[in-house]
Amino acid sequence: MATTTHLEAHATGHDAASHDAHTPTGWRRWVYSTNHKDIGVMYLIFAIIAGILGGLLSGAMRLELQEPGIQIFHGLAAMAYGMDPAGGEALDAGKHMYNVFTTAHALIMIFFMVMPATMGGFANYFAPLMIGAPDTAFPRINNIAFWLLPPAFILLLMSMFFEGPAGALGTGGGWTIYPPLSTSGQPGPAMDFAILSLHVAGISSILGSINLITTIFNMRAPGMTLHKMPLFAWSVLVTAFLLLLALPVLAGGITMLLTDRNFGTTFFAPEGGGDPVLFQHLFWFFGHPEVYIMILPGFGIISHIVSTFSRKPIFGYMAMAYAMVAIGFVGFVVWAHHMYTTGLSLDVQRYFVAATMVIAVPTGVKIFSWIATMWGGSITFRTPMLWAIGFIFLFTVGGVTGVVLANAGADRALHDTYYVVAHFHYVLSLGAVFSIFAGWYYWYPKMFGYMYSEFLGKVHFWTMFIGVNLVFFPQHFLGLAGMPRRYIDYPDAFALWNRVSSIGYYITFLSMLIFFYAMWEAARKKRPAGDNPWGEGATTLEWTLSSPPPFHQFSTLPKIDSTNAH
Amino acid sequence: MPGQYHLQPSVTVIMDSIVAFHDGILMWSITAIVVLVLALLIVIVVRFNAKANPVPAKFTHNTMVEIVWTVLPIIVLIIIAIPSFGVLADQLTTPDGERKYLGSNIFSFGEVEVPAAEMTVKATGEQWYWNYEYVDQTKFFDSNMLQEPERLAEKPGQPRLLAVDNELVVPVDTTVRVQVTASPTGVIHAFAVPSFGIKIDAVPGRLNETWFNARETGIYYGQCSELCGKDHAFMPIAVRVVTKEEFAAFMAGFESGGDYASANATLAAIQ
Amino acid sequence: MAAIAKNHDYHLVNPSPWPFVGSVATFVLALGGIAWMHNWTPWLFFIGLAGVLYTMYAWWSDVIAEANNGVDHTPVVQMHHRYGMLLFIASEVMFFVAWFWAYFDGFFRFDDVEQATRVIATGGHWPPLGVELFDPFHLPLFNTLILLTSGTTVTWAHHALLNNDRQGLKWGLILTIALGALFSAVQILEYTEAGFSFSGNLYGATFFMATGFHGFHVFIGTIFLLVCLIRAQRGDFTPERHLGFEFAAWYWHFVDVVWLFLFASVYVWGSWGVALNH
Ligand code: HEA
Ligand code: HEA
Ligand code: CUA
Ligand SMILES: [Cu+2]
Repeated sequence: MATTTHLEAHATGHDAASHDAHTPTGWRRWVYSTNHKDIGVMYLIFAIIAGILGGLLSGAMRLELQEPGIQIFHGLAAMAYGMDPAGGEALDAGKHMYNVFTTAHALIMIFFMVMPATMGGFANYFAPLMIGAPDTAFPRINNIAFWLLPPAFILLLMSMFFEGPAGALGTGGGWTIYPPLSTSGQPGPAMDFAILSLHVAGISSILGSINLITTIFNMRAPGMTLHKMPLFAWSVLVTAFLLLLALPVLAGGITMLLTDRNFGTTFFAPEGGGDPVLFQHLFWFFGHPEVYIMILPGFGIISHIVSTFSRKPIFGYMAMAYAMVAIGFVGFVVWAHHMYTTGLSLDVQRYFVAATMVIAVPTGVKIFSWIATMWGGSITFRTPMLWAIGFIFLFTVGGVTGVVLANAGADRALHDTYYVVAHFHYVLSLGAVFSIFAGWYYWYPKMFGYMYSEFLGKVHFWTMFIGVNLVFFPQHFLGLAGMPRRYIDYPDAFALWNRVSSIGYYITFLSMLIFFYAMWEAARKKRPAGDNPWGEGATTLEWTLSSPPPFHQFSTLPKIDSTNAH
Repeated sequence: MPGQYHLQPSVTVIMDSIVAFHDGILMWSITAIVVLVLALLIVIVVRFNAKANPVPAKFTHNTMVEIVWTVLPIIVLIIIAIPSFGVLADQLTTPDGERKYLGSNIFSFGEVEVPAAEMTVKATGEQWYWNYEYVDQTKFFDSNMLQEPERLAEKPGQPRLLAVDNELVVPVDTTVRVQVTASPTGVIHAFAVPSFGIKIDAVPGRLNETWFNARETGIYYGQCSELCGKDHAFMPIAVRVVTKEEFAAFMAGFESGGDYASANATLAAIQ
Repeated sequence: MAAIAKNHDYHLVNPSPWPFVGSVATFVLALGGIAWMHNWTPWLFFIGLAGVLYTMYAWWSDVIAEANNGVDHTPVVQMHHRYGMLLFIASEVMFFVAWFWAYFDGFFRFDDVEQATRVIATGGHWPPLGVELFDPFHLPLFNTLILLTSGTTVTWAHHALLNNDRQGLKWGLILTIALGALFSAVQILEYTEAGFSFSGNLYGATFFMATGFHGFHVFIGTIFLLVCLIRAQRGDFTPERHLGFEFAAWYWHFVDVVWLFLFASVYVWGSWGVALNH
C-alpha cells in the first residue's frame, strides 16, 4: 500500500543543525502551545490522569458489588456528609452516591479518557506526521480544544460536590442523563454542572475535529492522495466527521435539558406536552456515533501495528478505509437500538434491527483483513503486537454480543442488564483501551525517544488481559440470568459471578500498577530508542524522523512517489 | 440460582421463543464466529511467527476471499434476521385469539395458539414502588419491597430484595394485557419479568402496552429496569400466578373487602 | 517565524495566550451561568462573558493582522480557512437539526394515543389548544422578505468588492447590516405579541428556542458584517483576497436558509388551516 513507498529518501525531518533553535521554553511552551506534538502529549497526560480517576471510581463500584448487601457506600456517604454510618440517612445517601460514581465513571472514561487519548493525543501527534505535514491547520484552535478539557473535567468533578436530588450530592442519572430523572428528579445545581461540562467538552471536540479534518484534507504531503494515506489518518478523518455532526445534536438536547430545568420549558415534561422519549432520540442520535468515535481511531492504530510486526503491508487497504467510512455512515441511522423497550412500534423496531446488523459486515471486513495481513507474515510478538492481537480477539467477542443485542426480540430479555454492561466493556475497556495501550507502546519510543522494558510491557499485557476478562466475562452470565444494571445491591443468587468480577478488578488494578512501574522504569533507564525501533515493517512517515521528532518537522515537505506497491 | 449462566426458565410462549432464539441460532453463530477468529489467530501465532516464517509474504489482495468474508456474514445475518423478526412481532402483537405464535419453534410460521386478552392490568412506576390496577375491576393497590426484618418475619421463604408486601395476582393460562406507565410527574422506570420475556419502560405521560400468558402457577420476580434514582435497586416486581378458581376468589374478596389485604386473606383461605 | 528555513507555505503559528485565556474565561462563564441560574449572583456570568468577548477580540485581531501582513495567509492557508468555515457551518446545521427535531416531535405526534398526558396538554391538537399562532403572512413574511433582500445586498457588496468598487462595498454592507438589525427588531416586536408563552408548553418551548437561536445567529451574523464594514473602512480586503468578508456572507446565507426552513415549517405549515392571532 501507499506508505510502503520510498519515503525515506525524501524525508528531511532530521535537519538537526537548526532544530530547537526557536523552541519556546518554560511554562509558555505548554500553556501557549501551538505545536501539535506538545498538545498531543498534554492530551495524553490528561487522559492518563482521567483514566486513573475513572478506574478508581470503578474500583469503588466493584468493591461494593463484591458481595450482596451494601458494604461500603453508606460508609463513604457517612464520611462525605458527616453522618452516622449506621443510620438510615447514610444508607440513602450511599445509594445515591453509588449512582453518582457510576455516572462519573462512565463520563470520565468516555469524554476524558478515551476521546482525549485517541482523538486528542494520538491523532494530534501522529496524523500530521503520517501525512507529512509540519503541524495542524489551526494550531491555536488545536490548543483551545485541549485547554477547554480541564475546565470541562473540573465542572464534572465539581458536580459531585453540589446538590443533585434534594439533600444529596452529585448527579446520579447515569451517563445517559435521561429526563425526567435529570430534570425534575434532580433539581439541584449538580446536574447543571454536568450539563455544562458536556457543553464545554463538546465544543472542544468540535473545534478539534474541524482542525483535524482540515489538516487531513489540505495538508497531505505532495503525492499523498487520500488513497495513499495511512489508515490511522483515515480513521481520524472519519471519526472527526462523526464528532462534527453528532455532537451538535447532543448540544441541542442538553440545552433543552438546561432550559427545562431552569427556565420552565417543557421539551421533556409531559404535563406541558413534552416527551421524555424525545431526549432519548436526541441523545442516542449522538450516542451511537459516539461509540464508533471511541473505536475507529483504535481500528486505525491496530492496522499499523499489525502490519509493522508482521513485516507485511496491510491487506485490502481500500476495503479497510471504506469499511470505516461505511461504519461511520451506517452509525448515524441505528440509534434507536438503545430504545427497544421505550414503546417504539413494530415497524420502527424492525428497521433498527436490520440497520444495526448491517454494521457487522464492514466490521467483519476489518477483522478478517487484519487476520489476512498477519497471514503469511513474519511476526514478532513485541508488546504493541500483543495488545493488537488481544484487541482483535476481544473486540470480536464484544462485537458479536452487540449483534445479539441488535435483535430487539432478544434485547427484550437483555436490555438494561449486565449483558449490556459486558458487551460495551468488551468493546470499550477491552477494545478501545487495548488499542490505546497498543498505540502507547507502539509510539512511546517515537514520542519520548526511549525504549520501555519489553518484559514489563508483556507482564502488563498479560495481567490486564486476565484481569479484565475476569471482570467482564461473568457479567454476560449475570445479564442472561437477569441482573439489572445500575444496581447497588442484588439478590443473593447473583453473588458468585459478582465476586469473580470483583476479583478480576483487583488483578486489573495490579496490572495498572505494573504499567505505571514500567513507565517509571523506562523514564529512569533512558534506553535510547533510535529513529525506528521496529525495523522494516514500520513504513509510515513518522519512523523517518528522529525520536522524538524535531520541534517542527518537515520544514521541507516529503514527496510521496507516484509509483507505489499496491 | 447461584452461578447461573443462562436465561431464566420460561413460563410463556414469548419467553420460549426468546430462549430458543438466543440459545439456538444466536449462541451458535456468535460462538462459531469467535471460535473461528480465535482459531485463525492461533494458526497465525503458530505458523507465521518470525522463527517459523522468516520471510514475510507480500500479497495485499485476494478478491475471492474478500468477497467470501463479505458475503458469508451477510448470509449469517439474514439467517439470524428471519426468526428475529418473527420473535419480535410476537412480542409486540397482543393476541386476538386468531394469531398463532412461534413458541420454541422459531423457524415455523407460528403454531401455538394463544387466547385473546381477557383482562387488563395497569402497572404504574412510582418512586420507588409499583402501583397496580385491575383495570376492568378498577381495583388499585401498592406493591412495596419488604425490608429485611419484615421479610424474615412474614415471607422468609422468598428471596431478599425480591419479596414484596403485595404481589400482583393473576390467573394461570390467561392472556393478560399489561399497561405500563409512570406517575406523570415522576421519572422513568421499567417493568420487567424475565420468566415471561417482557420488559417495557414506564414513561411518565405515556401508556405502553405488553402482554403475557403464564402457563404455570407460582411466584415470578422481576426488577425495575430503568435507572430511577436512589432506590432503583429496591422496587422489585412480583407476580403471583394462581389457578383461575383461586383468582376468582381473590377478586371476589377484593370486591367485597374493598382492599388487597382482604382479597389476599380470601386467597390464603382457599389455598 | 521560526529560525529554521521553512520550505513550505503553511503558517506555523506563534505561541499564543488566547486559547488558554479563552478557556479560563469559558470556565468562568459556565460557572457564572450556574451561579445565575441558581440565584447566587449574576456577576460571575458577566465576568466570564467579558473574558470570552475579549478573547475573541484579541484572537481575531491577531488573525486579521496575520491576514494583512501579506506573508502568513498563503493560498493554501486560505484554503484551510475555507474548510474550517464550511465545517463550522456544517456543525451549526446539525445544532439546528436538534431544534427542528423537537418541533417535529410535537408537530407530527401531537395526538399519539400512547402519550396520554401530552394529548391532555395539547388537547389533541397542533398547535396545542390555547396557543394562538402568528399569521405567517404578516410579520413573518415581512421578515422573510427582509432576510431575502439582505441576501441580495450582501451579494451586491461582494460584487462591488470584486470590481474594486469600495463605495458599493460599504453601502452594500451598511444596507445588509441595517436589514439584519431590522429583522431583529421585528422579531422582538413579534415576540412581544406572542399568543403563547415560553414556559409551560411544548409549542412555546420549541418556537422560542428554535427562532430564538436563529435570532441569536442573526445577531452574530450582523456583528460579523459590522466587523467587515469596519475593516472595509480601514482599507482591508482586495478584490483577490477578502476571506473575512466571504465568510460573513456564507454565514449570512446560512442564517437565511435556516430562516426559510423555520418560516416554511413552523410558521406556514404549522399554521395551515388553523385560526390565527391578528
Ligand atoms: C466502542 C464502543 C462500541 C462499539 C464498537 C459497539 C458496537 C456494537 N454495538 Fe454496542 N454499545 C456500546 C458501545 C459499543 N458498541 C455502549 C457503550 C452501549 C451501552 C450504552 C448504555 O446504555 O449505557 C452499547 C449498547 C448496545 C446496544 C443496546 C443494548 C441495550 O441497551 O439493550 C446494542 C443493540 O443493538 C448494541 C449493538 C452493537 C452492535 C451491533 C455493534 C457492532 O458495531 C459490532 C460489530 C462487530 C462484530 C459483529 C464483530 C466482528 C465481525 C465479524 C467477525 C464478522 C462476522 C460477524 C457476524 C456475521 C455477526 N450496542
Ligand atoms: C471507555 C469506557 C469505559 C472503561 C475503560 C471502563 C472500565 C471499567 N468499568 Fe465501566 N462503564 C462505562 C465505560 C467504561 N468502563 C460506561 C459507559 C458505563 C455505564 C454507566 C451508566 O450506567 O451510566 C460503565 C459502567 C460500569 C459498571 C456497571 C455499573 C452499574 O451498572 O451499576 C461496572 C461494574 O462493574 C463497571 C466497571 C468497570 C471496570 C472494573 C473497569 C476497568 O476496566 C477499569 C480499569 C481501568 C482502566 C482500564 C483504565 C486504564 C486507562 C488509563 C489509565 C489511561 C491510559 C491512557 C493512556 C496510556 C494514554 N463499569
Ligand atoms: Cu424504578 Cu428503577
Ligand atoms: Cu449503539
